This record gives sequence, C-alpha cells and structure tokens, in this order.
Amino acid sequence: MATNSESRGWTRSELWDRFRTIRRRITATLPALSREQVAYVLISPFFIIFGIFLLFPVVYTVYLSFFEYQGIGDGTLFFIDLGPIFVQVPEIADLQFIGFGNYSRMLGDGLFWQAMFNTTYILVIQVPIMIGLALALAIALNAAFLRAKGVFRTAIALPVSANIVAYSTIFVILFNETGFINYLLATIGVEPIEWLRSEFWARKTIVTAVTWRWTGYNMIILLAGLQTIPQQLYEAAEIDGANRWQKFRYVTLPQLRPVLLFVVVLSTIGTFKLFAEPYVITGGGPTNATITIVQYIYREAFVGSPNLGYASALTVVFVAIVSVISIAQIKLGGDE
Amino acid sequence: MRKQRQRDAVWKFLTYSFVIVMTLGMMVPLYWMMVAATLPQEEFLQFPPRLYPGTAFFDNLAVLHEETDFLISIWNSVFIAVVYTVLSVLLCSMAGFAFAKYEFRFKEPIFYTILATLILPIQLLVIPLFLMMSQIGWTDTFRAIIIPWLANPIGIFLMRQNMKSIPDALLESARMDGATEFQIFYRIALPAMRSSVAALAIILFLFQWDLFLYPLVILEDSANYTIPVALSGLEESRRVNFDQIMVASSLAIIPMAILFLILQKQFVSGILAGSLKE
Repeated sequence: MATNSESRGWTRSELWDRFRTIRRRITATLPALSREQVAYVLISPFFIIFGIFLLFPVVYTVYLSFFEYQGIGDGTLFFIDLGPIFVQVPEIADLQFIGFGNYSRMLGDGLFWQAMFNTTYILVIQVPIMIGLALALAIALNAAFLRAKGVFRTAIALPVSANIVAYSTIFVILFNETGFINYLLATIGVEPIEWLRSEFWARKTIVTAVTWRWTGYNMIILLAGLQTIPQQLYEAAEIDGANRWQKFRYVTLPQLRPVLLFVVVLSTIGTFKLFAEPYVITGGGPTNATITIVQYIYREAFVGSPNLGYASALTVVFVAIVSVISIAQIKLGGDE
Repeated sequence: MRKQRQRDAVWKFLTYSFVIVMTLGMMVPLYWMMVAATLPQEEFLQFPPRLYPGTAFFDNLAVLHEETDFLISIWNSVFIAVVYTVLSVLLCSMAGFAFAKYEFRFKEPIFYTILATLILPIQLLVIPLFLMMSQIGWTDTFRAIIIPWLANPIGIFLMRQNMKSIPDALLESARMDGATEFQIFYRIALPAMRSSVAALAIILFLFQWDLFLYPLVILEDSANYTIPVALSGLEESRRVNFDQIMVASSLAIIPMAILFLILQKQFVSGILAGSLKE
C-alpha cells in the first residue's frame, strides 16, 4: 500500500483528505433517516445473519427429525421471477416423511442408550470434582495470608487458553501405556494402568482431561464471586465465635450461592456437550465405553451413510435434555 | 492462644500445599508437551521417559512441515479467528447499540428471541448448516466457517447491557453539534465501550479458535484445515509420530498461552463478562 501511494506521488495526508471528501460526498447523497430507521439499519446485518444461520437451522432441525434423509436436494423450493431479477431457492434436501419413526427408533437403539449412560457417568463424576477443586482453589487464593497469589492464579488459569484438540492430544501421550503418568505410578511401585484401553480407566482419563482444562476457568468466576462478599459478614461471624468451617458454611456458601449455581449449570451443560476430548483421546472406545451423545450424533450424521434425519431427532432430544437440566438446576438452587 | 496459632500454621501449610500441588498438576501436561516436542523418536519411546528437553525440536518441526499442512493450518486459524472477531464485534456492537439506545417497533420480541437462543448448544446447528452449505456450494470455504457465527447472542447481550450505561445526554449533545447517528455510534459509543469490546473480542476469538465439530464437518481439503481439525487428523494419518504431533500441539498452545499471560486482565474480564449472561 505504502509503496503504491508513494509511486503515484501521494502523501499519506493527501490520501486521507481525498478519502474524507469522497466519504462526505457519499454521505450527502444518502437520504436522511429517522431514528427508528437508523435503528433498523443498525440491527439488520446482525438480524439477517441470525435469522438465516441460527433461527432457521433450529426450526429446520426439528423439521428434519420427522423425515428420512435420502440425499442432497436437487429440486427447487421456490423461485421469485421479477423479470431482470430471478431468485431461485433450491430444495435443501431430498426427504421422506416418516412421522415419529426416528424417535421410536431411538428407544430400541442400544448405542444411543450407551452414549446417554457414558455422558451421564462422566458428568456425575467430573462436575463435582471440578467444582470442588475450583471452589477450594478460589478460597485458597482469596486467603489474606497467601503470597504470590498472581503467580498461582495465572498458572492455574493457564489451561483456559489451551486449544481443545491440542490439549487432548497431550493427554493421549500423557496417559499412553508408556507415558508419563504410568512412569510416575511406577516410581511409587504401582503397576502400569491401561488408561486408554480399559473401560473404567478410559472414562477416568476423559474426566481428568476435562477437569484440567476447565478448573481454572471456574476458579476465576468463583474468585470474582468471593470478592464481592462483604468483609463485615466475616468479622461479624468472628465476633460470634464462628470457626473456619462455620464461616464457610454460614457466610461463604449462602453468599456465593448464585455464582456457584451458575458455575454448576455452565459446567453440567459443558460436560454434556462433550465431543472433542473423547473424539481425540479415546475415539469413543474401548468398545464404545466413552462415546458421548454429541459424538454419536456426529457419527450418525457424518460417518458412513448420512442418517441426517435420525441425527436431527437425536439432536432434538439432546437439546431438550440440556434445557431441562439447566431449568431444573436453576429451580432447585433458586428457592430458599 | 498458642493452640490457635498452631492451628493457623497447620492451616497455612495445608493451603500452600494444596495450591502448589494443583499448580504443578496444571503445569505437568504443558511441560511434558514441550519436552516431548524436543525429543527424537527413539528417545520419545524409551521407558522410563526422559524428563528434560532434548534438542530435536527443529528436526521434528521440519518433518511436520514436510509431511503435513500443519503450518498452513496455523495461518488459516489465525486468519479465520481474526476476521471473525472483527466482523462479529462490529455486528454485535451495532445491534447492541440499537437495542440499548433506540426505540423501534418489535424491539422487545426481537431481543427476547435472540436471548432465548443463548441456551441452545451450537452443536444443534451443525446438521442443518452442513446441508445449507452443501446446497449453496460453500463447503470447504472459510466464509462457511466465519459467517454463520457472526450473529453471536452473547455478543449482542453484552453490548446492549454495557451500552445502556452511556449517558443519553452525551448522545443528545453530539446530535446538537450536528453529528449523524452513525457518527455517534463509531465516534462516541464504540470508543466509550473500549473495555467491553476487548472482553467481547476475547470471547469471540476463543470461541472461533476452539470451534471443532463444525469445521471438521465443513472443511475437506487439508490445506484449508484449521488447527483443531488438522491436529485431530495427525494421529490417524500415521505420517507423523507423537513427538511431531507434540510440536504441532506446542505451536497451537504456546502462542495463545503467551497471549493469555500478556492480556490476562482482558481474558479474565472476558470470562466474567461471558458468565454474566444468566
């Protein structure tokens, strides 16, 4: 750019001036807009993309779940013919209506139930461990006596920046049979464990990996929550002779409740959506012991023959469960 | 009194031990990645493993570059994430500004429709988006990766919340001075929102940087792969070994980690801003 402008003998400020003049001319030709019209202009780019790529696909997924996918569409959905302007919108897919067929197929689909079980199993172990660690770390880092807080906080939060697939590949070699973890175990006299080949340990490997990646993230949110608790509450509790546990139980926990609830909901949904970690670390194995719901949806839709209708039905069920979980958690934690 | 002091000392010791053990736990995988990336194949496979860095990093890098398109993937990921972030920040703040400072018909229903989609997991969209992209011939293109996610509900929500705090009097006085509505947006509203824009930019950048399932479905040619897609294929391709895969992981993780160290404050406010969505 710079060499180009110099060769024509333009200085930067001259170019800038020219640009301003042109802009002013364009602005002058634009019709004056009312404030309401300005608002529409401001929201329309967002809303058009939102409508096409978010709202429509959501509705279309539900629609698709009642059909069997036969292939990519080759017909025309509709066209607009205005003489010089001719818009043709193609049919998206070649579909055959099967009613609730996809949903009833799910009931007898062993692999679907296996995926549900795996996801729930990982969730029930992983979320409490992670939230517990994150809360303990947040409380420790909030303690007045702790030195070098910044260093600890940075180190523990660092995994937040790690790319999902990149860190998963690290866990593959860490938990390899001849990997570092088995080496550590050997130094304390424990036999090597087949982390990735045994059903039991493969799930634990996934749990460890996810916990490594997200503990710092949750700690940051909890720490911010802790810092909003008024110091006077602790002082008042101390005057009443409360010990450490009582201060935690009767001041910290109730005060932190909304933040804690938020973190639990977020983590539950996050783990429920698990895909990259099992995909990379275990490939869903051994014998489908770690295949998750999203991974199963991916397989049905994009591996082998594309069962897009069935995969859409799975997606609808998956989203329904996610919504129910978050609403239930908010309801349960909200009262009192 | 003495008993109390002893108890405090024990508590301090336990707290320090816990924090130090956790810190080491967080560092081990990253350290191990860097060690593995610098080891030649024969040392990588030996047991017990070598625990300190070797000198084969550049040899491994050369093999990785020769055998795969991974270095191109880094460029692809950076390009996609930067373009996405800039465009999406612009779209979200424009719309957020309109929702915060203007009155128009259907304002509330439109806003709540957008808000309702916040709870939807994005995996939901992969199947219909794949079909749409196939039909309009966008598969295997960057625009298919960038455009669908530009309208980010978290973005519009954040910008609306924050732009509400801009005093109306400020906008009014700018109007008196003859500023057009668009000038008010980019001369007054955007600069006033600098810290929110930074936080949003980080949320959006990380969102796109970590996007995996969708590009895995959309991208076909390995020259177009983003980092996560390229990495996930390395192991299966069997063209490179684990030490070279660790070079690739290092290249994916270390620049972001450095960025995190430099922009830690913005990262944290990004995480907190993202968490405010409930």
